[in-house]
Amino acid sequence: MSVGAYFDPSEYPGDITLDHVIPAAPANFTTFPSDLRPELAAALQRRGIEQLYSHQAEAYAAVRSGRHLVVVTPTASGKTLCYNLPVLQRLLENPERRALYVYPTKALAQDQLAELGALKSGLPIEVRVDTYDGDTPPGRRTAIREGGHIVMTNPDMLHTGLLPHHTRWRRLFSSLEFVVIDELHTYRGLFGSQVANVIRRLKRICAFYGSRPTFICASATIRNPRELARRLLEEDDVALVDRSGAPRGERRLIFYNPPLVNRELGVRRSSMLEARRIAAPWIRGGIQTIVFCRSRLQVEVMLSYLRQDLAPRLDASKRVRGYRAGYLPLHRREIEAGLRDGQITGVVSTNALELGIDIGTLQRAVLVGYPGTIASTWQQLGRAGRRSGSIGVFVASSSPLDQFIVRHPEYFLGTDPEEGLIDPDNLLLLAGHLQAGLFELPFMDGERLGAADVRELLQVFEEDGSATHSAGRWFWSRQAFPAEEVHLRRILADNVVIIDTSQPRPQVIGEMDQFTAPVLLHEEAVYLHEGAQYHVDRLDWDEKKAYVRPVEVDYYTDALASVSVQVLETFASAEGDGLSRSHGEVKITSLASMFKKIRFHTHENIGAGPIHLPEQTLHTTGYWITVDPALWASLGRESLDHPMEAGLQGMAHSLRHVASLRLMCDPRDLGSVAEVRSITTQLPTVTVFEVYPGGVGFASRLYELHRDLLNDASALVRDCPCAAGCPSCVGPLHLVEGAKEACLKLLSASALPV
Amino acid sequence: MAAVRQDVISLPSLDPDPGCIAYFDTETTGLSGGAGTYIFAAAVATPIGPGLRVAQFFLPEPGMESAFLHALREELEPADGLATFNGGSFDLPILRTRWVMSRMPGDFTHGPHVDLLTLVRALYRHRLENCTLRYVEQRVLGYERDDPLPSALVPDAYFGYLRAGSHEFLEAALEHNRLDVISLVHLHSRLLRRLDGADVDMDADDWLALGRHRWRRGARADGWRALRNATSYARGEAAATAGLLISRRLIRRGAIVAADRLLDWLESKAQADMRVSLARARLLEWRRRDPRSALAVVEAAQRRMPEQAPQLAHRRERLRRKATPRRSGAQAQLEAPI
Repeated sequence: MSVGAYFDPSEYPGDITLDHVIPAAPANFTTFPSDLRPELAAALQRRGIEQLYSHQAEAYAAVRSGRHLVVVTPTASGKTLCYNLPVLQRLLENPERRALYVYPTKALAQDQLAELGALKSGLPIEVRVDTYDGDTPPGRRTAIREGGHIVMTNPDMLHTGLLPHHTRWRRLFSSLEFVVIDELHTYRGLFGSQVANVIRRLKRICAFYGSRPTFICASATIRNPRELARRLLEEDDVALVDRSGAPRGERRLIFYNPPLVNRELGVRRSSMLEARRIAAPWIRGGIQTIVFCRSRLQVEVMLSYLRQDLAPRLDASKRVRGYRAGYLPLHRREIEAGLRDGQITGVVSTNALELGIDIGTLQRAVLVGYPGTIASTWQQLGRAGRRSGSIGVFVASSSPLDQFIVRHPEYFLGTDPEEGLIDPDNLLLLAGHLQAGLFELPFMDGERLGAADVRELLQVFEEDGSATHSAGRWFWSRQAFPAEEVHLRRILADNVVIIDTSQPRPQVIGEMDQFTAPVLLHEEAVYLHEGAQYHVDRLDWDEKKAYVRPVEVDYYTDALASVSVQVLETFASAEGDGLSRSHGEVKITSLASMFKKIRFHTHENIGAGPIHLPEQTLHTTGYWITVDPALWASLGRESLDHPMEAGLQGMAHSLRHVASLRLMCDPRDLGSVAEVRSITTQLPTVTVFEVYPGGVGFASRLYELHRDLLNDASALVRDCPCAAGCPSCVGPLHLVEGAKEACLKLLSASALPV
Repeated sequence: MAAVRQDVISLPSLDPDPGCIAYFDTETTGLSGGAGTYIFAAAVATPIGPGLRVAQFFLPEPGMESAFLHALREELEPADGLATFNGGSFDLPILRTRWVMSRMPGDFTHGPHVDLLTLVRALYRHRLENCTLRYVEQRVLGYERDDPLPSALVPDAYFGYLRAGSHEFLEAALEHNRLDVISLVHLHSRLLRRLDGADVDMDADDWLALGRHRWRRGARADGWRALRNATSYARGEAAATAGLLISRRLIRRGAIVAADRLLDWLESKAQADMRVSLARARLLEWRRRDPRSALAVVEAAQRRMPEQAPQLAHRRERLRRKATPRRSGAQAQLEAPI
């Protein structure tokens, strides 16, 4: 082995919190299924495939028996063959049949097109495979509609392009035998709930044309793949194939926490610089390494670091390449080829690429920051994998999530990955898709949209003029094209867009829901985006635009918003001995009135200003914990005023973070509030709520997860090495004496089962 | 509200007479297309002898669509052909969609179709700022009508009827539909006259448009004649464009001398058209192998059009080099690629 082949912990000043070796596993092969058409077997053999992995054979058998299927196996285990094999087999048997492949992104569909192209070229019949998305030239569209055997698209195109124009797709829908849904795990939370409704509409259209397709889903590791598939497809009989027969080399997983720079503030050495130190010697030594960063900007920075480290070599820029979504397929193919023939030793990528794009297997993977879910982490670490001696290193940043994960490797390794939750019956979502469905096909009296009873909604539509009842059916009766009013990937049309004006051409760097925006994007705020500081120069509330520019200042801003929670309806509640839990419908009111500028390190208050923005209200669902008055008193409410209040706030902060971890959602999908005396309960209350109007079902799940949430939050706070609470655990509390202790007392107050 | 209305109105004799064509127009619940846009009214006008038979179909409620479509087909079937205004991309695709949605047997089929909008665009676009039927009536047919109901409000007239049974605007929408198909009959006759080159007041632009259209549709001789007519106006951009098209075709045929003569004539008439001078210089240089004359054309053009002179500089340089005989290598220079 060349220089830097090993990872020697003693070379690094930070903490190695996990050094785990996953033993090698041999391949589990089976022969080709007996009914497999000889021409398909021959095509596989030409591709060097003489046998199938056991999971591929299982998947084939399940689909052939007519069952819906979900396949869960690791990266690079030949997952696509699990669906391509039965589909191609069927097309050989009957070239009149059709299949629809749905990928979450256009890029992924393009990649799979190339992959399938190689396999089908060996077949005696011409299998026409096309992608159909916004990039498909109009001249090609008719041909694809009429003749495509396999149409690859994305949920958004299915939603606005195929379903509303289904009569043009009659050929496809009337012969549709398979619907492949790859990357199932991406269809969770809000996006998943939307896609579930698109699938309901798809099934309605199929029924209209007399087809009943088999759904084949493929997913990365999540806790409940079968449940998610059942919920998404609304089918009971879903077969699960989750034992991989692909071989695996011995792998070493390392969690690395960079050393503390400022203990008080919980600030650690930059994860970027630490990752660079780890990756550079490997790349120099010719070991193929991939570095995953969390943003495009980080990719560019890391790329320049690693090239500098190779500086004496003239071909540094050829040997280390960036690889991110947005690159053209041709460009990506070139990088893939470079990796295969060894020309390229380093690749820096955004985690957008976790989505099974084939860049072969590398010997080393370095993750800068937690990608957000355990599933993605495994996928990224899995990039270094098939050969023995591969190493994956996760380098934690200072964020609470990263710190929780790096300090709790058992959470990561335990059989407890996140679950995919969806709530397709969320009223707001359902109404949008019902309109789209009504446009596509009249509803019969008593007909449902999937499992949802829509009678009342239809009556509402009749009242507002969107629907007309005639001859036992409901018809769409407005000029509008309803699918265009529903955006699958975002629920609110009026998010505040964040625009960086420092570039010659102003660039949108992000967006924020308008409920949170007054607190974080008010004028003069210092907004943190991807680890960089931005100053908000102007907030145009009417246009919903925030104009920012990058700055480097030694302070941050903290807006004081008075947030109050009013419970509108309690769906369920349970008394605990000290902490009682409930969930239900809530109204959150937030008014940001002023902000403070606070200096790093010293926490001096160095300025303040007013915020003039309207009050925001949000109707959503929430989960709340109330503290028993006796307990509150016994914890010292009377004697020590501040710490308990700060403790309650710390509880809200930590609960929100661990909740997002458990729900596999973005932390920004949730908000939390601590109130010493809630107007509804009259008690000290912590509420975790969904930031989407109406909620998507997270709150009821949090209610069920109550015990786990308290445990996780305690662990997060307890194990944080800070002295008395820091932004990584209890949140920005401005160093209230005893906050951390108070928070811990509260979190562990109901030790008995609830 | 009756589902079908029929009427025969008198029709002034048409010259030329298009024959037994069904003129067809629909009113729909929206312009977006897709499965949720339906046809709530349709009108079909068919010339019969000295009269025009106008049949109107109305969908009293969405649940009665298959009966509506049946009746419509009965009316359209006997005609030899179908004429619409923008039917190729709007009315007919929607009709096909409705066919599928109502589970009508088979596909919706019809005889040969002519889209009058396509013809208007080809023959009149240079005269019209837009090609809406209303505007075409005014500018091409010289006929103005008061429209009590703007097209954008037509769907709402129907929805108003469905919701509240209000007839007020609906009658206007149906009348609008009726007048539209009657206009189509006159428009078609007018377009046929122009296609024959029998219109009286045609200028160079009109002939150019006609020539291009006929040529594109494969009627070479008619196209050629129309382009010649356009060229004979001599002055103006259209005449020059037509002349250039003709000269290009002459060159392709190998009639270099004829092309040269035509361009020479055009250049003498259209003094300030750089395209003509350029074409002539190119022809002289590459086809006639006469760099000296080409140089003269270029230099003359530069003098006449000083503001466009720089774009000829490179060509002029090259022609100068070619025109000056060299002691050696002159032979090779003549072998320049064409």
